[in-house]
Amino acid sequence: MAAEKIPRHSMPEQAPEDRAHNFDEVPYGYPDAVAVLEASRCIQCKKPRCVEGCPVNVDIPGFVGLIKEGNFKEAAEKLKEKNSLPAVCGRVCPQEEQCESRCILGVKGESVAIGRLERFAADHERNTGEMRIPQLPPKTGRKVAVVGAGPAGLTVAGDLIKMGHDVTVFEALHEPGGVLTYGIPEFRLPKTIVNAEVAFLQKLGVTFMMDYVVGRNSTVRELMDNEGFDAVFIGSGAGLPSFMGMPGENLVGVYSANEYLTRSNLMKAFLFPKYDTPPIKRHKVIVVGGGNVAMDSARTALRLGGDVTIVYRRAMEQMPARKEEIHHAQEEGVKFDLLTNPTRVIGDENHRVTAIECLRMELGEPDASGRRRPVEMKGSEFTIPADTVIIAIGNKPNPLVPQTMPGLEVTRWGTIKVDEATMATSVTGVYAAGDIVSGAATVISAMGQGRIAAESIHKYLMGEAPATES
Amino acid sequence: MQNVKLTIDEKAVEARDGENLLDCALRHGIEIPHLCAHEGLTAYGGCRMCLVEVDGMRGYPPSCATPAAEGMVVRTQTDALRRLRRNILGFMMLEHPNSCLICGHREECEEYRPTPEKAGRTTGCHTCNNKPGCDVRQLAADLELTELPEAPIYHQRPLERQAPFLDRDLNLCILCGRCVRVCKEQQGAGVIDFVGRGSAAHIGQAFDQTLLEAGCAFCGSCVDVCPTGSLSDRYAKWYGEPDKRTATTCALCPEACPLIVASVDGQAVSTRSANPSMPLCVLGRFSVAEFVNGVSRLETPLVRVGAVLRQTGWKQALEQVAARFTLFTGDKFAFVCDTSATLEDRRVFRRFTTEIMNSPHYIELTPDGRGWTKPAELPGEVRAVIAVGALITTEQATKLEALAVMDCFPTPLSDGADFVLPSTVFTEMDGTVLDGGGIARPLHTASLARGAAMPAWQIITGLSRALGTEGLPYESAASITGELGLQSVSLCLNRAEAPAPARNPALRHAFHHNHRIEDQVSGLLELPPLEGCELPKPAQEEQAATVAFNTVSPTPTPSDGRFRIVSSAEIVPNTFEIVIVAPEVARKAQAGQFCIVMADAVSERVPYTLSDWDTEKGTITLVVLEKGQSSRKLTLLEAGDCCAHVTGPLGIPLDIQNFGNVVLTGGCYGIGAIVPIAKAMRAAGNHVTVVTEARSWYLAYYREKLAGIADECIPSTIDGSFGEKGHSMDIVGRRLAAGKKIDLVVAVGCPFMMMLTARETAPHGVKTLAALNPIMLDGTGMCGACRISVGGETKFACVDGPFFDAHQVDWDEVRDRRTAYAAAEIQSIGRTASVAVAHKHHGNCGCVNDALNV
Repeated sequence: MAAEKIPRHSMPEQAPEDRAHNFDEVPYGYPDAVAVLEASRCIQCKKPRCVEGCPVNVDIPGFVGLIKEGNFKEAAEKLKEKNSLPAVCGRVCPQEEQCESRCILGVKGESVAIGRLERFAADHERNTGEMRIPQLPPKTGRKVAVVGAGPAGLTVAGDLIKMGHDVTVFEALHEPGGVLTYGIPEFRLPKTIVNAEVAFLQKLGVTFMMDYVVGRNSTVRELMDNEGFDAVFIGSGAGLPSFMGMPGENLVGVYSANEYLTRSNLMKAFLFPKYDTPPIKRHKVIVVGGGNVAMDSARTALRLGGDVTIVYRRAMEQMPARKEEIHHAQEEGVKFDLLTNPTRVIGDENHRVTAIECLRMELGEPDASGRRRPVEMKGSEFTIPADTVIIAIGNKPNPLVPQTMPGLEVTRWGTIKVDEATMATSVTGVYAAGDIVSGAATVISAMGQGRIAAESIHKYLMGEAPATES
Repeated sequence: MQNVKLTIDEKAVEARDGENLLDCALRHGIEIPHLCAHEGLTAYGGCRMCLVEVDGMRGYPPSCATPAAEGMVVRTQTDALRRLRRNILGFMMLEHPNSCLICGHREECEEYRPTPEKAGRTTGCHTCNNKPGCDVRQLAADLELTELPEAPIYHQRPLERQAPFLDRDLNLCILCGRCVRVCKEQQGAGVIDFVGRGSAAHIGQAFDQTLLEAGCAFCGSCVDVCPTGSLSDRYAKWYGEPDKRTATTCALCPEACPLIVASVDGQAVSTRSANPSMPLCVLGRFSVAEFVNGVSRLETPLVRVGAVLRQTGWKQALEQVAARFTLFTGDKFAFVCDTSATLEDRRVFRRFTTEIMNSPHYIELTPDGRGWTKPAELPGEVRAVIAVGALITTEQATKLEALAVMDCFPTPLSDGADFVLPSTVFTEMDGTVLDGGGIARPLHTASLARGAAMPAWQIITGLSRALGTEGLPYESAASITGELGLQSVSLCLNRAEAPAPARNPALRHAFHHNHRIEDQVSGLLELPPLEGCELPKPAQEEQAATVAFNTVSPTPTPSDGRFRIVSSAEIVPNTFEIVIVAPEVARKAQAGQFCIVMADAVSERVPYTLSDWDTEKGTITLVVLEKGQSSRKLTLLEAGDCCAHVTGPLGIPLDIQNFGNVVLTGGCYGIGAIVPIAKAMRAAGNHVTVVTEARSWYLAYYREKLAGIADECIPSTIDGSFGEKGHSMDIVGRRLAAGKKIDLVVAVGCPFMMMLTARETAPHGVKTLAALNPIMLDGTGMCGACRISVGGETKFACVDGPFFDAHQVDWDEVRDRRTAYAAAEIQSIGRTASVAVAHKHHGNCGCVNDALNV
């Protein structure tokens, strides 16, 4: 059978009725033989369009070819040439919009399962304990401070340490990983993977300074002037949750998705009382929003025993979440109340949530985003009983770093202004990437930008970069 | 026997032979105040509360020690008696934290925060676990006690939390002697007694022995009779008044004692004897709640997938069990249980085995004298087993093709099973058990089932239906009880003497359903070893494979002992001054900022205001009140220990300008928190007045420190024992009323204090700032947990605060958001083990002691 005639292999996964009760990862990953078979579907295009679709330009035919030959370890190393966190990206990247959407096989049939193969190779390397420490170039003697140990910061740290620079990562929380640790739940990204990636960076020589809030313990300026850092990378993320601004939003039982997920993922509230942070187990949970974070919140609440409904003001096809996430949530029993907009949270005399009031919506004319605009249906108010309301309508950039850095230009949305070709900010020697630049986006786009920033920082440190105006 | 006729308060009553006046009056619904007298104890006549007037008798005889006599005319409620009792109570209260009793803001306090707050050492009703239903409080209210004859005495006695199961704080003791009498009269033991004379008199053990050394049996009777918060049940103390009390039978051993199970929101929190004159043993009194609430209780059905057991729902689980076991009917199947199961359960097990599985192998074992059941011998042809607990060996299990284990806790057997079905514990079910004498005793549902756990009969009935047959016909335990003809069994209330383990805890049962009870009940580990009983090796505490998400790998970057404790001291009761190495925090700290501390790797992230810092030494100083699990862990750390994480300085520093006359008010931790503010405000040229508040003289700290910093220092105490009488806001109010010009008030303390301060200054239009520290997680604006409404706008206390216009803050919301997790917080401190054992050193903080803990 010609390679392209082999159907795309699905990944075995936990049955929905089982996984709705546990925090284990949903898919099991390919067995070796299936990975080889799936890799053999790749026709090794001369001009691989998939690589163009990848924000970090991974040599996709290269690593897929190595898997096909059974050289799993080499495949992982090939991946790591461009992607510092393949085990993470193989799980959380929207491949269907990126590499896989460009795959030539996808034109007539199904694209190669690039993401699953990426995950396979990275898992193989981690599970066999064959993490090779690459040969590092001689030290350049230059010091770089990385602000934030999230996807952008970890990428920059990994790239720069491999270029011979000294790298210190400053993280405000007590564990590294940023959104990978506090935001994405265990069942979608096991924390052992994040920890392994961080441990790998430590082995490469990256210093991690936890419990350190740049903007409080030191400003960016002080890091450069007093602490001897030659360049600073800001990857402080989109850590400022948006609320609806509706009455009752401060009632007990209303959470930002950030808080809800942080309690569960970072503080391990689901292991209370082994962990001291109190649990968030409730019975009737409403999640407001239609993005990936809303799906993560809903599926977490479900696993904590809740009866969960997602309330979204547009229609199903307009949801920004990945199709796979919506599908998983539906399979597990999350209910969807679409074309519904919350208007008020109702509480009892103890300020505890008892219900949420909503309006029915209908789709009107397309708006600026090209999506049909939801329009309120007058007089359609109704209430849904609830004891927990999770607001997952997005995040704004955390102002802590920009606020404490005079001269740093920001947009009117509070994101840091950069030259997109270099990720340089308005301050010489200071670069930024990730959600603090783009608002709330994806892990891989943060890593892609981080990759560009690392390249620019390297050039800057080695005296190759034209100085930006400051 | 001749009844005695007499008159009490102009009511003709009849006394029984030998009855004293107090009992007689109470029996006739005539209330006479009393403290030392207690049902079932001999009269003592110590507290003098029950004094009465009797015609023809001189003085005021105590009614508890005065036998009723024919023709007596007794008055219990004259003005003279009320005055006398009030005076006596006032003197008694001199040695009991009394400020809350006589506080001028008592009613507002009750309204704003009706439930007591947790604390380590109790220094007032507001932090007393005994507040709901306290006899002393009731008396003080009834007698309208509003003033004390002189400044109170605080003996600075150590808070005793070294013994398992109970806390003892003799600073609250009123020497009523109830505990001493109950120990003598019920236990015949006299483990405790009055020690010392005069003002040094206190309750204690002879020769300064510990309770354990003195041979305490931990029957808990002393705790049950204590009228104050002096003796408390460590596990249950903060749950408050139970909302339900249910009588059932203790199934932890064949003594089958009658229990009253107290529950809150369906959770069993404490147990006591249903027969007030008969003590329980340490298992019945102190172990039931911690056992049924055990952290590792099985809560969800588990089904094996490859190497791991995965959680699933009942429907899926029973369908899968049925699909597997339907292959093993007839003699290939065996059912193994023991006689610790209820009669109802065993009826269902037997019928299931014989009628549904058509198997001859119904195996019912009998536990030995310590509750241990030796694993069964399985017939050779058996390929599939349902076991009710670890009743076959793991070796036998490896030879089986299908194994389902029904149990309440995981065991090595359940770890290796194909199916694990969570079952209820005896307080969570109806049914019937047999006591040691073969008499049937009833179980009544006294608490809600844990998680999705179900009674065993219900699981097996469900399975019988999933097997595709019509199944067993039972819908409730009662329907089986009926079939067994056991509807009218009753509790064992007529026992002649206490069960042996109530006298000697070393004779207690060691196992329940083949689980070592002490694996679940931390306090039992501190008791002497069991007599004549070899315990098998401890069951594995965790079952790593079962719940993959439990295998949290430790942080790859621990703090390496970065945050070492330089010193820690309890400067006044329940208030600790802790100095921590945190150079990055010290270097940047400014007045009004806070830091977030995690005592160990599993702590909450808790904000504490910076009280001082030393940039050269790289240290920070915090004033910490023990208020719950996280602060308890922090205050238990000693010099040389490390906390896992310190993050800061956080929050916007207080705006320091020359305002003119600045008044800083501080209460509790806030006294510490205003130190740097006072320094900065004075340096900016303000006239700084510091007003501190404390309940009493012995709680006022930093007197010299503040005197050296502020232009004027005005201490205040609720009882007037030090400084001015009243709260800080009363002082501020008096000054404002007297026309004193104040340009700015900054209040740091509990929300109640800051709210009242705002109310005092509002009519005068004085700008007032309050320092808010609600529940936080990250402290950098990322989560929004700390949001509050100020002037109708939502603010994040961590990045927009901590200082806000106190006149604009929604104080009810602040309170309700702060107490959002109060119920859960109680669970995290609810342990029976001695406090240091239960709450110190979880590891992973970088301490030298780390290696000892994982």
